[in-house]
Amino acid sequence: MRRLFKLPPQIVRLVLLTIGIVTVYCTARFFLTPPTFAQYGWFRGDALAEIAAREPVHAGKKACDECHSEEYQKVAKFEHKTVSCEACHGVGKPHADNPDTPIAKLAFSRCVRCHEADPSRPKWLKQINSRNHYTGQRCTECHIPHQPNEVP
Amino acid sequence: MKQQFTRRNLLTTLTGVLAGLATWPVARTAKAAVQKFFVSTQAPGGYDPTKHKWLMAIDVDRCIGCGLCVEACKKENNVPEGESYFRTWIERYTITKPKAGSGETRGEVFVDSPNGGIHGFPPNTIPKDQILKSFFVPKLCNLCQHSPCSQVCPVGATFDTPDGAVLVDPKYCIGCGFCVQACPYGCRFLNPITKTAEKCSLCYHRITRGLLPACVEVCPGQARIFGDLKNLSPDDPIQRFFESNKAQSLKPHLGTGPRVLYAELDKEVR
Ligand code: SF4
Ligand code: SF4
Repeated sequence: MRRLFKLPPQIVRLVLLTIGIVTVYCTARFFLTPPTFAQYGWFRGDALAEIAAREPVHAGKKACDECHSEEYQKVAKFEHKTVSCEACHGVGKPHADNPDTPIAKLAFSRCVRCHEADPSRPKWLKQINSRNHYTGQRCTECHIPHQPNEVP
Repeated sequence: MKQQFTRRNLLTTLTGVLAGLATWPVARTAKAAVQKFFVSTQAPGGYDPTKHKWLMAIDVDRCIGCGLCVEACKKENNVPEGESYFRTWIERYTITKPKAGSGETRGEVFVDSPNGGIHGFPPNTIPKDQILKSFFVPKLCNLCQHSPCSQVCPVGATFDTPDGAVLVDPKYCIGCGFCVQACPYGCRFLNPITKTAEKCSLCYHRITRGLLPACVEVCPGQARIFGDLKNLSPDDPIQRFFESNKAQSLKPHLGTGPRVLYAELDKEVR
């Protein structure tokens, strides 16, 4: 005990300062570390739940199936079976939550977005050149989007 | 000097010890109060990340370059408008024919991604007869097993979750941008509104509810295959992908261990 105080005063001050800083750090750490920190790893476990808490914007095919199962099954039998409803009809959550909210009307651009001929597109995809493929007519005059292999 | 054992000494020591013991519960209560105020969350529970392992795979030959995924991703995740803010985007690779007699296997490689492909692609400017081959490559976070982005984050805001995602905690992110530089695939950006780092979260808010990520949901060609490796159904698409494809990762020489695998990947794709 006596010895310590025989140390040069600047060293004593330094030791006291260090003890002070460490104490402040430990106290702050004790109070401010979130309870779920290091639950799964070196991060806040609650962050997972927080990120997961956001509301989805796209409703998903299953939600469409709840009311439109007839259409849903029809599409599943034809070539557009891999195309989900929201790929063409756009975001569906507002309509799924409240059926009175109308779903967007489809335009020509929706068809050619996938089917316009392009050398980059894979060969398996059916492609047309909209400049010389029955110009002036609507796609739906000849093709039913839900049953693309059928003639209307 | 030897200390004397007196009643006074004993009482002071005892009081000291008791006070010390009493601070513990007091500190605990104080801590709970402080945390309720500053650090607690009202996040819902019920999802156990240790029981899942999510993975996305890309079949390049199935991508038709419609860009619906890019559009859906921006809407789903509230990604700001603009040429440099994407959680997923599509690149168009065009490889020209080699010059006659040059002895090369291919000519030049052109890569473009007009606005990430969000409105689809305009017709290729390279004439068709000069193209050796051309294809679209969807890009997103590669879900690195040894993610450089998590390693450089100074505050632990970017992390690898037990269910295979790499996420950013917006409350911890200080917007230093180290992770944006560290990602060798260019998958991250600083959100100009929140000023925090952002990237593909595998639509964490959707997959934890049993929905597909938005890009997978809308992909008409089924170029994006998504699944839960810990809960495979008998005919699981992700299982089928690995059965029927020779899969490859992007930039394997970097040792980042990407978990997102590509089928039909050309050697020019980086
Ligand atoms: S691809 Fe980039 S953002 Fe994704 S885990 Fe790897 S380093 Fe991180
Ligand atoms: S939606 Fe699918 S097919 Fe279309 S660009 Fe995206 S990944 Fe490719």
